[in-house]
Amino acid sequence: MTAATEPELAASVPALWHLVVRQIAAGSRLADLFGTAHPDGLVLTAQLAGRGTITSLEALLPSDQVRYPALTPQVAPAFWYEREIHDLFGVVPEGHPRLEPLVLPASSTDLPMPGAGAAPVAIDPDPGVLPRHAAGPGLFTIPHGPVRSGVTESIEYLVETPGEDIPHLNMRIFYKHRGIEKRFEGLSPADGVLLAERTEGVASVANAIAFCEAVERIAGLDVPWRALLIRVAQAELERLACHLDAIVRLADGAGLAVATARFGWHKERVLRLAGELSGSRFGRGVVVPGGVSGLPLLGPADLLGAIGDLDRRITPDLDLLMGTASFLDRLRRTGPLNPARAAEHGALGPIGRASGAGEDTRQSRPYAAYGLLGVTASSRTDGDALARLEVRIDEIGGAVHLLRQAADELADAGSGQLRAELSPADGRATGWAEAPHGEVLYDVRVEGGVITRCRVRPAAFHNLVLMHEVFAGDILTDFPFIEASFGLPVAGAAR
Amino acid sequence: MWVLRGLRNGVLTTGWPGRADEYASATRGPATVKASPAAAALPAAEAVRLCPVDAISADKEGGVRVDQGKCILCGRCVAARPDVFAWSAGPHRSTLTRPGLVVPAVESPETLREVTDKLRARTRALRRSVHLRHVDAGSDGSEEWEIMALLNPVYDIHRLGLFFTASPRHADILLVTGAGSRGMARPLRETYDAMPDPKIVVAVGTDAVGGGIVSPSYAVRGGVGSIVPVDVWLPGSPPSPFAILSALLMAVGRIPASAGPPMSVAGGDPR
Amino acid sequence: MTGFGAALAAGLILIALAAAADLAAGPRGRAWRAAPYLAGAVGSVSLAVAGAAALAGRAVTLGSGGLLGVVAIGARPGFSAIPGLAADQLSGLFLVIAFTAAAAVSLAFASWSIGPRGPARRGLGAGYALALGSVAVVLTARDAFTLLFAWESLTLAFWVLSGYRRAAPGRPAAALVTLAFGRISGAFLLAGLLLLVTRSGSLTLAGLAHVPAGPLRSTACVLLLAGFAVKVGLVPFQVWLPRGYAAAPGPARAIMAGVAVNVGFYGLWRTLAVLGPPPAAVTDVLLLLASVTAVLGIAHAAVQGSLQRVIAYSSVENTGLILAGFGVALVGAATGSRALMAAGLLAATLQVIAHTAAKSLLFVSSAGIQDAAGGDDLDDLRGSVRRTPWSGTGLAIGSLTLAGLPPTAGFVSEWFLLEALMQQFRVPGLADRLVLAVTGAAVALTAGFAGVTFVRLVGLVVLGRPVREGTRGDGDPGPAGRAGIVALAVACLALAALAPLEIRMISAGLVPVLPSAAVTAALKSPWVLQPVFPGFSILSPSWLWIIMPALFVLVTLLAWIASGARLLRVRRVPAWRSATAGVSGRASYTAFAFANPARRVLAAVLHTRAEVTRLDASDDAHDGDHDAAAPHVEYSSDVIEVTEEYFYRPFRRPFALAVRQAQRLQSGRLDAYLAYMLIALIAVLALVTGLH
Repeated sequence: MTAATEPELAASVPALWHLVVRQIAAGSRLADLFGTAHPDGLVLTAQLAGRGTITSLEALLPSDQVRYPALTPQVAPAFWYEREIHDLFGVVPEGHPRLEPLVLPASSTDLPMPGAGAAPVAIDPDPGVLPRHAAGPGLFTIPHGPVRSGVTESIEYLVETPGEDIPHLNMRIFYKHRGIEKRFEGLSPADGVLLAERTEGVASVANAIAFCEAVERIAGLDVPWRALLIRVAQAELERLACHLDAIVRLADGAGLAVATARFGWHKERVLRLAGELSGSRFGRGVVVPGGVSGLPLLGPADLLGAIGDLDRRITPDLDLLMGTASFLDRLRRTGPLNPARAAEHGALGPIGRASGAGEDTRQSRPYAAYGLLGVTASSRTDGDALARLEVRIDEIGGAVHLLRQAADELADAGSGQLRAELSPADGRATGWAEAPHGEVLYDVRVEGGVITRCRVRPAAFHNLVLMHEVFAGDILTDFPFIEASFGLPVAGAAR
Repeated sequence: MWVLRGLRNGVLTTGWPGRADEYASATRGPATVKASPAAAALPAAEAVRLCPVDAISADKEGGVRVDQGKCILCGRCVAARPDVFAWSAGPHRSTLTRPGLVVPAVESPETLREVTDKLRARTRALRRSVHLRHVDAGSDGSEEWEIMALLNPVYDIHRLGLFFTASPRHADILLVTGAGSRGMARPLRETYDAMPDPKIVVAVGTDAVGGGIVSPSYAVRGGVGSIVPVDVWLPGSPPSPFAILSALLMAVGRIPASAGPPMSVAGGDPR
Repeated sequence: MTGFGAALAAGLILIALAAAADLAAGPRGRAWRAAPYLAGAVGSVSLAVAGAAALAGRAVTLGSGGLLGVVAIGARPGFSAIPGLAADQLSGLFLVIAFTAAAAVSLAFASWSIGPRGPARRGLGAGYALALGSVAVVLTARDAFTLLFAWESLTLAFWVLSGYRRAAPGRPAAALVTLAFGRISGAFLLAGLLLLVTRSGSLTLAGLAHVPAGPLRSTACVLLLAGFAVKVGLVPFQVWLPRGYAAAPGPARAIMAGVAVNVGFYGLWRTLAVLGPPPAAVTDVLLLLASVTAVLGIAHAAVQGSLQRVIAYSSVENTGLILAGFGVALVGAATGSRALMAAGLLAATLQVIAHTAAKSLLFVSSAGIQDAAGGDDLDDLRGSVRRTPWSGTGLAIGSLTLAGLPPTAGFVSEWFLLEALMQQFRVPGLADRLVLAVTGAAVALTAGFAGVTFVRLVGLVVLGRPVREGTRGDGDPGPAGRAGIVALAVACLALAALAPLEIRMISAGLVPVLPSAAVTAALKSPWVLQPVFPGFSILSPSWLWIIMPALFVLVTLLAWIASGARLLRVRRVPAWRSATAGVSGRASYTAFAFANPARRVLAAVLHTRAEVTRLDASDDAHDGDHDAAAPHVEYSSDVIEVTEEYFYRPFRRPFALAVRQAQRLQSGRLDAYLAYMLIALIAVLALVTGLH
């Protein structure tokens, strides 16, 4: 939408925080907070999502200063962001309520420092640096992970419990840290999209779209209409698959064997359709900077037929699922996220929308073809697992509708090139997309034709911290439901 | 109500490997080199430049080789030079040796037979029913989806006698996904040690086999081969459920080890 | 004095010497410290021999003048020919039970006393000896006065024992409560016996049987039952047991809970022998109270955080079980069914024996464990079998016995108890049948929760991973103590294998109540038991003792063969904990957490309250980073003793009021006190004249 703008530079870090607080009071939300290594020190960038755009504010922390006043006491959503900055750059936010290692518990002084040219060869996480999480009186800690039962991503939950209840939950996400942001440095934008697809493998298309939007903004490109439609089609198929996956996990947790099997079948059909459309079941290789790599392998008529078939099979099963009382009982009032807390934190995706707080980036900051196709965001106010499921079901219906629209438009769109020529351009821009889990932000800086800094902020990193807040009176057996209703990929949170 | 709903659609399960399944051949595998004169004539420098992960290498006698263990299925080589490169097809994508993933074949059949015999001697007891334990060593999340797809009614690994287990103490096969993030090195090693002998390790996905595009990074070890001894290598980004099934059956010897890439591309059209 | 009366005398003399040694010499050197207990051990053996002789039917008497005779007041009408101490079969049975256990406990006591945490000043040995001597005299008393005198001295001994460590917090209060309830039981006994004595005209216990039936006899019977019930801890009198037992030092608890508690049961059995069954309503109330006692006892035992309290509350539970069996016997006596009476009494006596052995073993072992760990909290005592292997094993065997698991003696007795309760269909009256059914359900529930309680002890305290490392063997008893533990453990196990012999012994001991043929009807064949009624059910613990090990060996052999002789070739790896990066200290299941489900399930009985509080101190003036590892949430859970809360607490205020009024009498003026004595004398004279 808006052209790439240079970020506003504040005089000092406290001045930057002042600006941030003012903008938040005026109605924005904190979308991202990250650091970039600079020859003179560390540049802290805060990105705020406001009406229709993302504004960036920056300040320089001189290299002789290691400590700076923390933002978290004033702006609670900055909690994990400042911990990440501490892990990657070694600076200390003073006044931070709980400064523990989050993505990289390192005892060495050799730190990654994204934005600096050099990269350390290897940094092994040091478990000795982790706090030992002594439980309070009457409690003991159940370490759950990183190798958990079932086929799941590696994350450790430290459940402090007196035996049945969950008074407190801690998370350790550093196991899956792959150093993605550092890996971007030195790649060309064409290669960068390959890495962006594999940051969050289940949301490849959305991540690729966000990355490509940033690159296209830097180059000032206009993407052809047909390419935008194809992007929308792939992204909505991906949304279908992710939401069906969440439903499969919820049904599995509740022990509904037939529902689990049927929704597994539906998800398999969606993945097969995505594969037929693009050659890759996850839609990889479709979105490239400037457009898409080629026409879909299915014609619009076939696509419409396949979507209709899917819809005909999924909708009755969804209705039956939402009529199964035993299933709904497990979800009702489980894992409630307080709407006020969700609004304060700026919760993204279905989690935020289920608590009445979130926006849908496709609607508030339209990208690709969404502006013209029109998206209605679904919303609830209860904030429990059932509300999140209902939001996802609404979005499944919305995705089917958008797919039909995209297929129709593709049939009428005629011919033309699918990809604008990417001229080498330097600059910096932010791209965004609404992944199935929420808004994903990419802030890309290109110098000399290669990426020198690429900030990846998936929705999972922003939302996962809310897991601390949702165990109100729930017991251990509710844990799988809460985790499944959040449905956040750990690969995105840990990057 | 759910039971009736389930009965209405009949049997959804594939009969593979007993019966052919056309979707098994439909998904793309890593890039492979066509046996064509254009392949021999391709200049080395251009070939190497095509691949963002350096999976393409030049042969000393001319011609090119693709290391499928590094291929992330970006499709650039196939799009640029469709006369030289093509997608490999078919479900049998795995090998018992890492060099066996380089196509056209560099390994002799004798080496393959030797490795196969050693594996079979070690795991003679695992034939009919085995238990699988999965560990995520820094994957991007898609390999887990493909492994979980094995449990849906379309693939249904239970009919083949394969089961997932939560405790490594009960597991026979260790499925590892992910590029080997350094944070997961110790947990992966502990899981491997916690499994009783005999055990088989399957590296699932290009990230696990060769590090993928995430490697080289300060936080990743370039594949899991340096953390645990891998017996079966399965490339793919991510590998399709049929490919994973094929790798599992190859691991227990129900599919011959020669069904995989090295033998299948030696002097013939790729399917 | 007959031949075996000499054994009786020898035992009493040795016990008296023990007291003297302790008072004279005190803890002056190792030999002197252990001497009272060793003397007590020998005396106990002697008394047990006397008891065995009495069981066998030999006459065991000591002195014809009794205590009054010794004092030589002289002959008076009605007070002539007072018998001294004599043991009949019932006394002999309880002498054997109590004093074999006392011998083993005394050995452990001797060992403990020379340890580092032994008694620091004189008095403990005297208290111990006084307790043993009082028990012996109660068991062999032939007249009411001796009985009461010994009873009161037993109360005094309890007070000495529980108040020995008076510097520790809560001990003086516990000792006072023990003393108070001891006096209450004595008061009940005094009232009951006085009523009977006035009517029968003679002080002898045998003579009391001649009191004609009527309200007086029933009232006296109820009073006697109440007095003995206070001693053993029947609801609502059980509140002193946990306090009193936990307050006593070391193996003194075993003396109190394992040896001395048997006088209560003896008294109940003797009341049944002398006076017969009480009115039917009283029997039903007794049964209901017994079931409540059992459930309440085990509910509290399951959730306590202190080892001594768990074991003490288990005593309350066992009281409930034993009195349930006794209630069945009362119902049988009232309905004239001798078989039912035999079934009930046999079950109750078996449980008494099993409880004596197991409780003594538990308290002796827990003394060693507590000394080694320096504390009593269950979470600090984990893995005690590594630190104190002997005490740990003793705790395990005692726990298994009280949990009623085969092949221990507790299993046999609980089986008999449940079988006896299941005979309720043979009882004619509907009310009795209902009450017996309810009691049966309560006993079954108790047995289930006993499993939970003792699994916690065995799994966490004996077998868990030690929280703190300590030197191995520090706190474990020396050779004498080990002998005691081994003896008690062997008793717990062998009494199951030799159950038929045990039943024969009991049948001999119950002769004053039932003919022995009624009890030996429980022996279907030499090694197979049945619940007195034929054709209902059988059990053979002796065969279990042969078959269970044989099966174990057979299975091991099969496994060894099937594994190709590679059964023991193992590769050791750390326990699987989902490959966590680690948490500190309390990362495993604590004893507190294990009891949490019990706390919730039994919330109706325990009135559980749970609370989660945030520990984040917002007024902590910290600049910079908070200690990320500091705990920030606390969980606390509380249970209430319902009897204390709803039975005793409402009486506090009127009681305090009454005490304040009574204090006015304590004017401190001599003439007032003389006036009181004159008034009391006139009142007694009037009463005595009026009753005649």
